[in-house]
Amino acid sequence: MPIFDQGYQHWNGTLGGQGWRWLAITRHGVRVGMKSLVMRIYLLLALAPALVLVFMLCIWGLVERKAESVSSLMGILSFLQPEILAHPQHFRVEIWTLFYSQFLQIELYFSIVLILIVGPNLISQDLRFNALPLYFSRPLRRIDYFAGKLGIITAFLAMVMIVPAIVGYALGLLFSLDITILRDTFRVLLASIVYGLVIAVSAGLLMLAMSSLSRSSRYTALFWLGMCFLGISLAFVLGQVNQEQRRHQYHRQMMNVRPPISQDPAERRIQMRELQRAQGKLEDEFRAAELHAGERDWRPLISYTANLERVGEHLLGTRKCWDRLSLLKSADERDRFIYDHAGPQYPWYWSAIVLAALFGLSAWILNVRVRSLDRLK
Amino acid sequence: MQMLFHFEDVTKTYGAVTALNNLTLSVPEGAVGLLGPNGSGKTTMIRSLLGLIPVDKGTGEILGMDFQRRRLEIRRAVGFVPEDECLFPRTVGVEFVGYAGELVGMSSKDALQRAHETLDYVGLGEARYRKVETYSTGMKQRLKLASAIVHDPKLLILDEPTNGMDPQGRVDIIELARDLSHQKGMSLIFSSHLLPDVEAVCDHVVVLGGGKLLTQGSIQQLKQVHNRCFEVRLKNDAKPFARRLAALGCGVEMRDDLLLVQIPEGHSPNLLWEIASEQRQQIRYLRPQRSTLEEVFLNAVEER
Repeated sequence: MPIFDQGYQHWNGTLGGQGWRWLAITRHGVRVGMKSLVMRIYLLLALAPALVLVFMLCIWGLVERKAESVSSLMGILSFLQPEILAHPQHFRVEIWTLFYSQFLQIELYFSIVLILIVGPNLISQDLRFNALPLYFSRPLRRIDYFAGKLGIITAFLAMVMIVPAIVGYALGLLFSLDITILRDTFRVLLASIVYGLVIAVSAGLLMLAMSSLSRSSRYTALFWLGMCFLGISLAFVLGQVNQEQRRHQYHRQMMNVRPPISQDPAERRIQMRELQRAQGKLEDEFRAAELHAGERDWRPLISYTANLERVGEHLLGTRKCWDRLSLLKSADERDRFIYDHAGPQYPWYWSAIVLAALFGLSAWILNVRVRSLDRLK
Repeated sequence: MQMLFHFEDVTKTYGAVTALNNLTLSVPEGAVGLLGPNGSGKTTMIRSLLGLIPVDKGTGEILGMDFQRRRLEIRRAVGFVPEDECLFPRTVGVEFVGYAGELVGMSSKDALQRAHETLDYVGLGEARYRKVETYSTGMKQRLKLASAIVHDPKLLILDEPTNGMDPQGRVDIIELARDLSHQKGMSLIFSSHLLPDVEAVCDHVVVLGGGKLLTQGSIQQLKQVHNRCFEVRLKNDAKPFARRLAALGCGVEMRDDLLLVQIPEGHSPNLLWEIASEQRQQIRYLRPQRSTLEEVFLNAVEER
């Protein structure tokens, strides 16, 4: 008989409350995810746009202060109007908004791939390894399970979207050394965080629903890729076909305004001037028509990412910024400026409705799929 | 005696199938074996106890808690080892058990510390940093046991814990279950088809059939002594002895070197000594016969 047999010891600790039970799942998922080398490399890669954002905000802070050190870097900002560089503080909100908009637009595509790396395993692997009885025989509700799994996706997205947005904001603030920046641009930060959460919740729940449909994470990944990239392609092709039809019509009109060419050189010059004027007017009309058509174009709704982008633009107020900046252009250049810079301008709530419908569908799939599995054989 | 769980008129149906049929029973604390043929309602009963499924009617309590209203509290006080192979994927042993503890509400630090302790206890200390996917069936079963006891539950439910295990693995699990219930004061529900396993671990059995209670009681009581049946072993050839008893109207059955003798009404057990004396035989072994648990089980199922 051993002198000291440790054997089984009773435990007298206290158990935590129910409210944060989901956090255990999130913590575990992040820990497991971070073990992957691919994930770590990809996270570093996804931080590259954040570095650019931080760099640009810092430069802008120095521009606002008219710092000596920034004069050598003015070349980087040469794309901006001279009026903006002359009075940078007047355009602070627009520039910050557009920097953030650009950053979030790029990060959206990084996020889609990040979700592709993190997401497919989340529920499908639990199904494959029959882990649901282990979860549901513990004091865990289904909502805790879903929230925990969604928390994993949110945590990873926060690492590349929300945290860099906050860090960038803080550094931009530090480099500008102007407290009024907080008053002017706080809405941008808030909108970025909300947008990051919208992406996390919408895309996260969608990925969880897909993950619950199959025991194979490969099929889930393929489904996700198909949905995102086929959606983008299809929306692009349909949009182009539609635009080509309008362009074709415009070209026909252009041909119609062309009068018979006169043999007299002086008269021909006048004719050509008039023709150019008429064609310029038609082109302006075409651009205005394109902008107008864009306001009613449903085709981008096919693309999941386009819907996210559109909601993001609305949250950040990107269009208002382009409108304000277009005022620096001459009246006849404004439409072209808006046309070239602002994306499709169909009502943002169309996209919000599509995202809400997908959210509802995802929640329904999860409810059905996981309800039928939280049983013990 | 304190009740482990209590069902009052509980009915649960799945469409046309009645899994629990007006089941009423009270089970005392301790090690309880849950027996019954396939489809007898054992799994439904476990599910109901854990609050995983709502019952159609009836009430009940487990560890003094209403099983329909205090589901999460019950699961906090209970450890469960499912029958099927189920794992938290992509973890090593110690993470697996620690994660199970965190899911119950333990802090990460406590859960990790307890994970090491329970892995040592179930004999997986050496394999704690191995990926759980590489564990053998027996190791996986012990891992599930460690994750079920990590938070030191008051009640441990083992669903077919020795299924598909090699003899040594089976013995290990039985010893652990017996130690937990008899030395560490943990109540146990042991659902199994293997009657020797139940007998080795439990003090009390519940036999279910068709969603109804067929019989229940302590194993010692159920394996009642038969006053007129005896096991007899003799020094010499037992055949003449057996023939003589049969001639006197006794039921006699030879089982290896043992005679199973049933004394008819009107005779006393002294008859055995008289015949032995008459035939100059030496009785080396004489014991009243007891029912085996298998007989108890089969009788209960047949009487249904």
